[in-house]
Amino acid sequence: MNTLINVGVARLEVGSNPAVLRTILGSCVGICIYDRIKKIGGLAHILLPNWVKDGVKEKYADTAVPLLIAQLLKMGCTREFMSAKIAGGASMFKFQSNMALGQIGQRNVEMSRQALQEKGIPIVAEDVGGNVGRVIDFFLEDGRMKVKAAGEEKLYYKV
Amino acid sequence: MHISIKERLDSIISNLDQLPSIPDVVGKVINMVNDPNVDFKSVAQEISRDQAITTNLLKLCNSAYFSKGKEITSLDRAIVTLGIKEVKDAIMVVATKAVLNRAILGYDLAKGMLWEHDLAVAVLAKNIAMMKKDRANADIAFTGGIIHDVGKTVLAIFVQNVFKDILARVESGGVSFQQAEREIMGYDHQEVGERILAKWKFPEVLKYIVRYHHEPEQAPKEARKIVSYVHVANSICLMAGIGIGSDGLYHELSERAITLLGVTDEELNQLYSDVPEVLKHVQGLS
Ligand SMILES: [Fe+2]
Ligand SMILES: [Fe+2]
Repeated sequence: MNTLINVGVARLEVGSNPAVLRTILGSCVGICIYDRIKKIGGLAHILLPNWVKDGVKEKYADTAVPLLIAQLLKMGCTREFMSAKIAGGASMFKFQSNMALGQIGQRNVEMSRQALQEKGIPIVAEDVGGNVGRVIDFFLEDGRMKVKAAGEEKLYYKV
Repeated sequence: MHISIKERLDSIISNLDQLPSIPDVVGKVINMVNDPNVDFKSVAQEISRDQAITTNLLKLCNSAYFSKGKEITSLDRAIVTLGIKEVKDAIMVVATKAVLNRAILGYDLAKGMLWEHDLAVAVLAKNIAMMKKDRANADIAFTGGIIHDVGKTVLAIFVQNVFKDILARVESGGVSFQQAEREIMGYDHQEVGERILAKWKFPEVLKYIVRYHHEPEQAPKEARKIVSYVHVANSICLMAGIGIGSDGLYHELSERAITLLGVTDEELNQLYSDVPEVLKHVQGLS
């Protein structure tokens, strides 16, 4: 039996094989990082792109990514064996284009990509954008990510 | 349009027995509290007739969200200490839990997700009303938040059958999810919810919240503001993924509602950013 760990909004969790990390996303982005040798990984559920003063680091893409990597390194992971998958970043179906909140999903995706790139972690799969809610399961036995959205499931195996 | 589904829904909503029930005391209390000349003693008396509600209500009045520090051991104390509107909100939480805290299959909501969503929307809608210094309506925003999606509990089983058709309609027609529900099944979850509230004998303003929470600009003028609190709170919770289901974000975020409330871009971002704090309050309620 796999141990299921629910990752809440603006939370970050790490685990190892055979744990499964699950989170539910709207405009937020789930950032999954996996070390394919150690079979250890972590998931950050970010709400916003950029850290603001006094904010918790887990809530923002630009601070959650370094935090997640640091935790994985502490667990014995090696940066060169790490890869990332991201999911989420949806937006409301209809909104006035000048409304900043409407762009949050897209900006979350862009900042997640940028933060990962800055740390040299390749993104091997993305399931982002659109107007769907997503339930993602990140399986630490092999690093696959299952995305359930609009009644359908997709699997991303690449690590 | 699936005529057979529409006909079954016609029969369900015209037959009160087939709609969900809540304890009678709730409808009575809500209407009593709505009356500005309400007598506190008679409200306490009315509540006390339902022993189960009373027990759970007192427990909730002592929870982190409602408590004012002092322990509350009687209905009279609850009304004096918290105020009658707060007590009414607490009754709503206690009385609707059985209806709302369940799996909502067609919308892909596991047990507890709709309940968490409803409580989060309630807390947030109340916060927005308070932020806009509309204290007088804050409790109604809370109550409306709790029940805004109650129609989903009845519609879910039908959505499950025609989900693909609804989604296809959304994508080809560019219409939002609840409009596609209407086009495919004859009713959307707002309309079904309004019928449920009619069965419960709830006041008009709550029916408007349920009926128009995705299209607040359609609400009667006198209720538009209060509907908008719930609309904005609902949109923010869905964006944060709280209770997001198979209908996803296929809904409109109404600019007119935001303008009507006078919520700035910055305030909107802050409300969204503070969702984790709202969830902490929700934990004290569920
Ligand atoms: Fe709704
Ligand atoms: Fe909702």
